[in-house]
Amino acid sequence: MIEFKDVSLVYPNGTQGLKDVNVKIKEGEFVVIVGLSGAGKSTFIRSINRIVTPTSGALMVDDQDILTFKGKDLRRLRTKIGMIFQNYNLVKRSNVMKNVLAGRLGHTGTFRSIVNLFSKEDRSLAYESLRRVNIEEKLYSRADELSGGQQQRVSIARVLTQKPTYILADEPVASLDPPTSHQVMSYLKKINREDKITTIVNLHFIDMAMEYADRIIGMRAGEVVFDGPVSEVNDQTFEQIYGRAIREDDMRGGADREED
Amino acid sequence: MAELQMPPKKKNSPVKTIKRSIIAAAVIALYIWTFLGINIDWARAFERMVNNFERVIPRLFNPDWDAFDKVMDAMIETLYIAFAGSLMAAILAIPLGFLAANNMTNNRFLTGVGKWILSAVRAFPDLILALLFVVAVGPNPFAGVLAIAIGSTGMLGKLYSEVLESIDMKVVEAMEANGANKLQILFHGVIPQVIPEFLSYAIYRFEVDVRASTILGVVGAGGIGTLIFFASSNRNWNEMGLIILIIIVVVTIIDFISAAIRKRIV
Ligand SMILES: Nc1ncnc2c1ncn2[C@@H]1O[C@H](COP(=O)(O)OP(=O)(O)OP(=O)(O)O)[C@@H](O)[C@H]1O
Ligand SMILES: [Mg+2]
Repeated sequence: MIEFKDVSLVYPNGTQGLKDVNVKIKEGEFVVIVGLSGAGKSTFIRSINRIVTPTSGALMVDDQDILTFKGKDLRRLRTKIGMIFQNYNLVKRSNVMKNVLAGRLGHTGTFRSIVNLFSKEDRSLAYESLRRVNIEEKLYSRADELSGGQQQRVSIARVLTQKPTYILADEPVASLDPPTSHQVMSYLKKINREDKITTIVNLHFIDMAMEYADRIIGMRAGEVVFDGPVSEVNDQTFEQIYGRAIREDDMRGGADREED
Repeated sequence: MAELQMPPKKKNSPVKTIKRSIIAAAVIALYIWTFLGINIDWARAFERMVNNFERVIPRLFNPDWDAFDKVMDAMIETLYIAFAGSLMAAILAIPLGFLAANNMTNNRFLTGVGKWILSAVRAFPDLILALLFVVAVGPNPFAGVLAIAIGSTGMLGKLYSEVLESIDMKVVEAMEANGANKLQILFHGVIPQVIPEFLSYAIYRFEVDVRASTILGVVGAGGIGTLIFFASSNRNWNEMGLIILIIIVVVTIIDFISAAIRKRIV
């Protein structure tokens, strides 16, 4: 369970990234965070694995306040939280298998990992993860030979190999076309269902948020201005979150998606 | 006709312009002063040059093939010096490159120290370094190896630090975010990104070092330069011809191989 208790974050330059955020996220939920650019979505997500550190309040992950974590505790926290990025962040020159095995680093001793001695279980898990996102045939391709959608699937496989309790995804589909976006979101949703991994995703697109989320959190200027199940959300909700009328570019479209 | 709206001209500050003019004037004055200062009988110098040409050039083009074994041995020694020196440099430059790279050493003072060491080392020409090491370890090929090693470390370290500064830090962030420690990030996130460039620069530096080490023997630091020194003292231009021929052929072959390897790496 993740619980924000009066969490605020002020960046060193004075920008208020988060303001008195109180949110509780339960096991297995699929939460989508929406809000305009600069609303604080990335700051919210990055606080959970402490890429940024809130300046006040308490942030509980599995009943521990992670804001006090340092060194080993911090690495242990990060090992149980997988993260997916807009630009995939794969090592482009390494092959897919090496990239996916990187998900095991937090679970592997320093020496073993340096000399590439990943265990049989790790290798099999990496392969299994690739199969779950249907990209196992690219096992030995270099990451930069893959399309954007394929790279994002590899990065999902990397997170699966990490065996996390939580998955954070910061705009995972912002660089992809509509059909590929839906494909990637479907994989995330499937993993959330099958493995009961609590998943928090930042999205720009209203229609995608509605299609995949169990629950939507709306942010504006660092504050949570809406928090509720998808069933309570309608166009007015988004207009209230965005503080303006909904436009065409708030929609991803392309629900007629390819399966593969 | 509509008037085109042009972007405003970039302003050069007057201080800069004045500074530049002063420097240019000083350089020109220095040249004039130097040429007026030296006392050369141009006519005689020219005559001697023509005479020497007639004597030397034909013999250079008539290499003394009897010296082939001796010259080839010295050339191979030169290659060894260059190889040992570049290898040492390729390794020494790694820690210095990391130290000098802003994104690897998050401490302005330390990166400053790293960059300073690297440029200080680069300020010494290879021959001066060779002279220093001949004094330090005696007139032998080891002095040459050390001269090459130190000279190349400066340049490789700088190139390495630039390669490191240009890597994709998002990858590093991603690994940090999934719980990897610093050493794991180094080996799985940083090194795979830089290895091809590091190798390619090291090979290129070997190519440069082969050329540089042909001359080291002139100051007693081993290799084919020793023969150059003796051949020119003895005015043995036929042997000199062979030496030059062998240097040209070997250096060309090495350049060719090195370029081919580097093309495949990156
Ligand atoms: N490292 C930083 N230093 C200073 N200010 C920052 C930093 N990161 C983000 N901000 C500011 O904090 C606010 C929230 O940024 P954040 O990145 O969380 O927004 P976001 O909702 O993710 O926006 P986007 O949709 O553009 O990604 C913005 O005003 C941003 O400019
Ligand atoms: Mg963001």
